[in-house]
Amino acid sequence: MNFLKRYLLPRMISYFLVIWLGITVVFFIPRLTPNDPVIRMIDQMRARGSTLEPGAMDDIMADLTRMYGLEGSWIEQYGDMWGRLIRGDFGVSFFQFPTPVSQLIGNALPWTLGLLLSTTAITWIFGNILGGIAGYYTRKRWSRVLDTVAMVIRPLPYYIFAFTLLLLFAYLVRWFPITGGASLGALPSFTWEYIMDVLWHSFLPALSLIVLGGVVVFQTMKLLVQNVNAESFVQYAKLGGVTEDRIVGKYIIRNAMLPQITGLALSFGQIFSGALITEIVFGYPGLGMLLYRAILNGDYNLIMGITILSIVGITTAILVVDLTYPLLDPRIRYV
Amino acid sequence: MAGEINRREFLKTLSVGSGAFLLGATGLIPISESLLKTDEAFAAQVGTFPREETLIARILTGRVGTPDNFNQWVGWKWQDRGIQNLADEPLWSVDFVTGEIINGVASGDPTYNADFTTLTVPLREGVAWSDGEPFTAADVVYTVETLMQYSGFNAHSFFVDNVESVTALDDYTVEFVLTQPNSRFHTTFLDRWGCTRIFPKHIFEQQEDPTLFTFNPYVGCGPYQLHSFDPQGSWTAWEKRADWDKSPTGIMYGEPQPRYIIFQYFADEGAQILAQLTHQLDVVELSADGLKALLAQADTSRAYQPTFPFVVNNDPAITGIVYNTSRPPFDNVDVRWALTLAIEIVEYTSIAVDSSGTLSPVHIPHLGPYPELYIGPMQEWLREFTIDIGNGETFAPYDPDAARRVAEYARSRGYAFPDDDDFILRTFGYGWYKYAPDIAERLLVNNGFARGADNMWLLPDGTPWRISYMTGTVLSNHDARNAVAAVQQWRKFGIDATVFNTENGADLGSVGDFDVETVWPGREPWGAGPDLYRVLDDWNSAYIRPVGERAQSSYHSRWSTPTMDDVIRRLRETDPFDTDQVVSIGIEGLQEAVRQMPSTPTYGYIGFVGWDETYWTNWPGSENPYCVPYTHWPNFKYMTPFLRPAGEA
Repeated sequence: MNFLKRYLLPRMISYFLVIWLGITVVFFIPRLTPNDPVIRMIDQMRARGSTLEPGAMDDIMADLTRMYGLEGSWIEQYGDMWGRLIRGDFGVSFFQFPTPVSQLIGNALPWTLGLLLSTTAITWIFGNILGGIAGYYTRKRWSRVLDTVAMVIRPLPYYIFAFTLLLLFAYLVRWFPITGGASLGALPSFTWEYIMDVLWHSFLPALSLIVLGGVVVFQTMKLLVQNVNAESFVQYAKLGGVTEDRIVGKYIIRNAMLPQITGLALSFGQIFSGALITEIVFGYPGLGMLLYRAILNGDYNLIMGITILSIVGITTAILVVDLTYPLLDPRIRYV
Repeated sequence: MAGEINRREFLKTLSVGSGAFLLGATGLIPISESLLKTDEAFAAQVGTFPREETLIARILTGRVGTPDNFNQWVGWKWQDRGIQNLADEPLWSVDFVTGEIINGVASGDPTYNADFTTLTVPLREGVAWSDGEPFTAADVVYTVETLMQYSGFNAHSFFVDNVESVTALDDYTVEFVLTQPNSRFHTTFLDRWGCTRIFPKHIFEQQEDPTLFTFNPYVGCGPYQLHSFDPQGSWTAWEKRADWDKSPTGIMYGEPQPRYIIFQYFADEGAQILAQLTHQLDVVELSADGLKALLAQADTSRAYQPTFPFVVNNDPAITGIVYNTSRPPFDNVDVRWALTLAIEIVEYTSIAVDSSGTLSPVHIPHLGPYPELYIGPMQEWLREFTIDIGNGETFAPYDPDAARRVAEYARSRGYAFPDDDDFILRTFGYGWYKYAPDIAERLLVNNGFARGADNMWLLPDGTPWRISYMTGTVLSNHDARNAVAAVQQWRKFGIDATVFNTENGADLGSVGDFDVETVWPGREPWGAGPDLYRVLDDWNSAYIRPVGERAQSSYHSRWSTPTMDDVIRRLRETDPFDTDQVVSIGIEGLQEAVRQMPSTPTYGYIGFVGWDETYWTNWPGSENPYCVPYTHWPNFKYMTPFLRPAGEA
């Protein structure tokens, strides 16, 4: 009961406040920029040859403003937006009118989740295992090799690294496709062929994310383990004859893992922003390009839809970590 | 210590190894053939399509955001993924290579009455929609009436404002009665990368709200029909109609050759190049550097031109510099001319496009019929044209040898190309304006400008003259190329000019919140047809709005003169098919634009196209320009009967 009143309730209130604040900011910020979705669409149609008589421009702007639901003051629009959100309706995309935002997100989300959930998990698991071992056995030759490799890879710009993978494995040795989430002509289905096709197309994008993300986790974990290893309680344990396995597993890794778990939660939350450069280099579908295009075109509803996922994802991940911390760290108690 | 890892050695080895691999990949050192997979693996099949019967081109406008929605009459539906260029036939298209009008589902030119309040359109007989239904005048009437009925259609306002009634006089003749005289009404149906298209009555009339109809699968009168599409918008595949001979393309030019045509999305230029190098992409559009890289690597790829400058230089658009004439000091014609004369065009085009641009001294590009109809006949006037430089003196700014100077400079840099006058004229243009910094200085001094202690220019009020040149963020685009070149030239002249890159150029430009911008100094004509009404009408004073309000025209200079208004009025009252009269008035409009220089035209838009000849040949290159060379243009369908499978050769 004490936990409920003193911790959970205030924590839940702050959780919903952060979400409300985030959504409110995302509502107003795009409207404060000079990026007008009506003008964007008119420019697009003009550039693409539609007949838009200069003299009829006011009528066209009024029609588009009405169709996009941008009539009325910002406060009225803000109220409408919450009315729709409560019903689970993100509205329609302006630039991809009249496609519902939920449909656009629904199309892109599985690709982003499929790629980023798996690569984030793999990156985290392998990075921590290797970093932990390398941090403990820091004087071993293989540990130094791993460290050197990580130091060489980490500063590489992602684009250069990703394109190099493309060059090596899709051009020189043609093991993987150059672009796309699946082969030309392959339509989504729950068949072995299609699943293998998607995995084949995902390999290089995943590899690029795992390697560049993995070295960061590796180096962080290595440093954390080295620091914990130098702590007095570890030294006492060694002098006290505690077995090495127990020291590594219970004393060092468990302590070093805490910040890594927070990092993992944040990484999972950030998944909803997509992986823009990965999507560009490998022509991979996902939320990143969808969000980028929405921002460029002032597509308020689509920006709102994607960022709500991100806001809710990150705040929920942090909430879960906060609530589960006592299970991971016995020093923390919510009383 | 023995066996200790030496980081320096390790890094050196890793760097050399990676470098060698990268160099090998780019062809600078030979890579063992055994490392390369044979092309046979890719030859038989591309995805689920037979490669030898399939042509693959890139979607120009990116990943399709509405892959399952083909209702192109509402919003933007990525028409260049095959809708406009394979599946649809407009009433008319324009071929910018020749300036000729091509009849699509129309069978001839429209006929206007004397006061341009009615027009009659003859339609082609024997055309069928891709679902087999015959195309008739009822489709045209229904399309226009439906567009007028629903405000959600893009063209709704235009038709409501212009059309009193539309009637089918018989199955193949349509009459429009207009609400007001409009001698260019028919151009709404003239396809120059978009137009009002006709939709099938028998399908749309079954929809409760046609603006919400997804029109999937698309049914058109073009020679191809929808085969399949990626729900993520990465590709759209089209298949040749079994009854291709019922499409205007088939009727006019014969059987299209590729059985399948796929438009595929590539976001990254490097990936595009790799795809063509591995013969998985027949048509690419790249940056200047990308095309160079492709041609250096590929044995089977070709560019539009076989020699320098390689590029497509007949796009119907002129690039250049646009001044905001509502903002001082750009409201002063002397200042605009000073900025023009401060440009050394040889250096400018070298910086912007490696000397590969075709110059134009007037606000239309040097291509198609324009050299013959406009730019050539204007040479004498341009030579004699003078500007007032004060004290009763004048200066003739035109340099008829500018294009040759550009050519000589390109040759001096090692580029090889023919030296005959025809080639130089066709490739580099006629001439441009002199590099006359002394005259530019005089014009500025006459208007109260002065140089400061650091030799930089000061405004008449004594403050430093700073020019912010607004442009986009894609540096390989021609807006940014012009911006960088102009800023470099003006800084050399002593003006504190800077490039302002923004994604919001369209918005800032439309409300007049800029000094100088780019890219179009004059609006694109209707695909290089002789009629310049579309170019000149954007300078109509009726469309000018005060700074802060959105401009009504797409042209952001906010400039007009009574002379230009008069030209526009007379052009509007002229039969658009009376070429002699149209050209005569059009020249007057171009002369007024040169006198006032509200924007400085520089070089024609350049496309960097690469064609792979592994599977398809007979591309419409400069030696055989039988068609518009771009696959994203609506005219691509007219190219398909002329392409040849490589195996046939």
